[in-house]
Amino acid sequence: MPILETQNLTHVFPDGTVAIDNINLKIYPGEFVVMAGANGSGKTVLARHFNGLLKPTKGQVLIDGQPITKNILEARKKVGLVFQDPDRQFVGQTVTEEVAFGPENLNLPPAQVEAMVKTALEVVGLNRFSQQNPYVLSGGLKRKLAIAGVLAMQPKIIVLDEPFTGLDYPGVVQVLQQILRLHEMGHTIILITHELEKTLAHAGRLVIINQGKLVEDGQPEAVVYRAEQYGIRMPLRKGEEVKDLTWLK
Amino acid sequence: MAEITFFQYIYGDTILHRMDGRLKLACMLLLSLAASFATALHHYLLAFGLLIFALRLAKLPWTALLKDLRFFGLIILLVISINAWTIPGDPIPTLPLPGLSRQGVVAGLRFAGRLAIIVLVCAVVTGTTPLRTFGQVIEWVLRPIPFVPAARIATMVTLTFALIPVLLGQFAEMMAAQKARGIELRKNPVRRLYYAVFPFLEQMLRRTDQIVEAMEARGYSEVRTRAVFKSTKRDWLIFLLCLSVFLYVCCS
Amino acid sequence: MEPNEFFKPTTAPREDEARTNLRMTVYVALFTALIIIGGYISIPLPIGPVPIVLADFFTMVTGVFLGYRWGLTSVALYLCLGILGLPVFAGGKAGLAVLFGPTGGFLFGYLFLVAVVGFIVHKGKPSLFKTAMALVAGNLLLYGVGVTWLKTVLKIGWPAAVAAGLIPFIPGIIIKIVVASALARTLLPRFQQGPVPPFRQ
Repeated sequence: MPILETQNLTHVFPDGTVAIDNINLKIYPGEFVVMAGANGSGKTVLARHFNGLLKPTKGQVLIDGQPITKNILEARKKVGLVFQDPDRQFVGQTVTEEVAFGPENLNLPPAQVEAMVKTALEVVGLNRFSQQNPYVLSGGLKRKLAIAGVLAMQPKIIVLDEPFTGLDYPGVVQVLQQILRLHEMGHTIILITHELEKTLAHAGRLVIINQGKLVEDGQPEAVVYRAEQYGIRMPLRKGEEVKDLTWLK
Repeated sequence: MAEITFFQYIYGDTILHRMDGRLKLACMLLLSLAASFATALHHYLLAFGLLIFALRLAKLPWTALLKDLRFFGLIILLVISINAWTIPGDPIPTLPLPGLSRQGVVAGLRFAGRLAIIVLVCAVVTGTTPLRTFGQVIEWVLRPIPFVPAARIATMVTLTFALIPVLLGQFAEMMAAQKARGIELRKNPVRRLYYAVFPFLEQMLRRTDQIVEAMEARGYSEVRTRAVFKSTKRDWLIFLLCLSVFLYVCCS
Repeated sequence: MEPNEFFKPTTAPREDEARTNLRMTVYVALFTALIIIGGYISIPLPIGPVPIVLADFFTMVTGVFLGYRWGLTSVALYLCLGILGLPVFAGGKAGLAVLFGPTGGFLFGYLFLVAVVGFIVHKGKPSLFKTAMALVAGNLLLYGVGVTWLKTVLKIGWPAAVAAGLIPFIPGIIIKIVVASALARTLLPRFQQGPVPPFRQ
């Protein structure tokens, strides 16, 4: 059974723009999916449907076979969404507060909240910074903090929206390693990006969204050659294969 | 925006950092009230003595704090000089400046003393207390009152203080950008205020929507984990010390 | 259907209500923070005890954007933080003594200002004229309360109270009203439309 499924998902903005159009997608437990598309293709809008931040005009989203509208809080617990620019979305004044925000929303006892925060910070290696102000962290660490924030809620699926934007080379490597570790730990990963050259080697599946439609879905080796016609830079240079598409050595 | 340390929590593991938030806020309330009732010189000295002791206890970074307090220093100087020259009274024989009056200088110093005490109290409390504790204490106070959405108000308070440094940083950044494009050439005050506020407000509204989205994405709920407070004997001792200072200043 | 839903058939579903409440919670925090920093960007005048501040300007803007209910919440929160002892009032002041001091009327007056502005602006169709009139009415109330208070506390005559608490601010008030109306015209419709869709940010 798919862990996440969208059925005929359509979203039309109030001004009539069709943001996503009839998207049918099935994600299975443990998958590592790269979702690519040009700017404005609708991939961010699609991601915001996964945990009910946006409501579909038509169609529905199912998690573990259940429509998310049945229990929205449960959906938000299961699907952790890491935003494009975490800097603008921190709600806590210290790293600990920031990570505790999610578990506190679940109304868990304080001792359990503390334990979850500690585990999440250990996984991303931020425990040394637990009392720092989030804004003073480096770009890569900020991204890791945003990941820890959703990790503390112990989600099954982690959706990362353009996690590499604005990061320098060490930052990208840091975050990429983190994502791979999460995948190894058993989380289902959906990685939204248009920079295939940084990550595609690790993905088991490549999905391409173009003008609100799902246009390609399959093995990266098969799909990647058709990427360029949808406004995504062809990542393969002469003599390269998909397995070379990573920024990890 | 990260370099503004005033109003910001500075991590530490001192008696004041570990103090029960409820008692700490009660102390803050008492001391700022005492500041407004203070009249005699020894009241001020007592309050300053207590605060210097508290600052040492909390091990807050002096130099950074003083740098942030420069702003208040400027206001204090202004207040003293305005009072000195506007309140009528006798001239000071040793300082014969035209218009300067003894009563005015005294009133100005008094006012400045109050302001300084309030600012210092606040610096100590905000420096040793994370914002979340502020929210939690307010939630704890409001909890027994019926029909008051305690959790919502606590969230408002926490976010308000989280937003202040962000707003100040954004404002400074935007003013610099406008200066670079020659806003000073505009003589019309309406246009100047408009161009100062419009982009600032627009950005902040957008950013606020992003915060809303981020909170929603992580399942924000008003039914949330409540804080458990623990107070030690030492916390009560500090509270009693503040209470006695308050009573002494008010009653003598 | 739960019984309480049955008795409130016109209200939005629970989830939408929670969403609106959260959005307004964060906006109340934003505008409270704006009123606070408005008090810091203040210039004390050597004429009287009332400094020229932007806090009242942001209070007007709060009324315009949040309406009277959430606007009042925001101003009440501001006053409460000041009472708690946090230096949020103009020029870093705080405490009950300020609230009941000579300028306290202007602080209580913010409640009237935000309520009147919020109520009028959000009643019926928005228009520039109505916004401007709401702001004028709100300021009349603010300065009515403030000047009367000043007169009573300092035990001075009307001419002196008006000279200290109103005359020096008239140019500032006019500028602030004009700018707040202009802001309402451009930003309010966008604000009321709700959040911007993600891909256009």
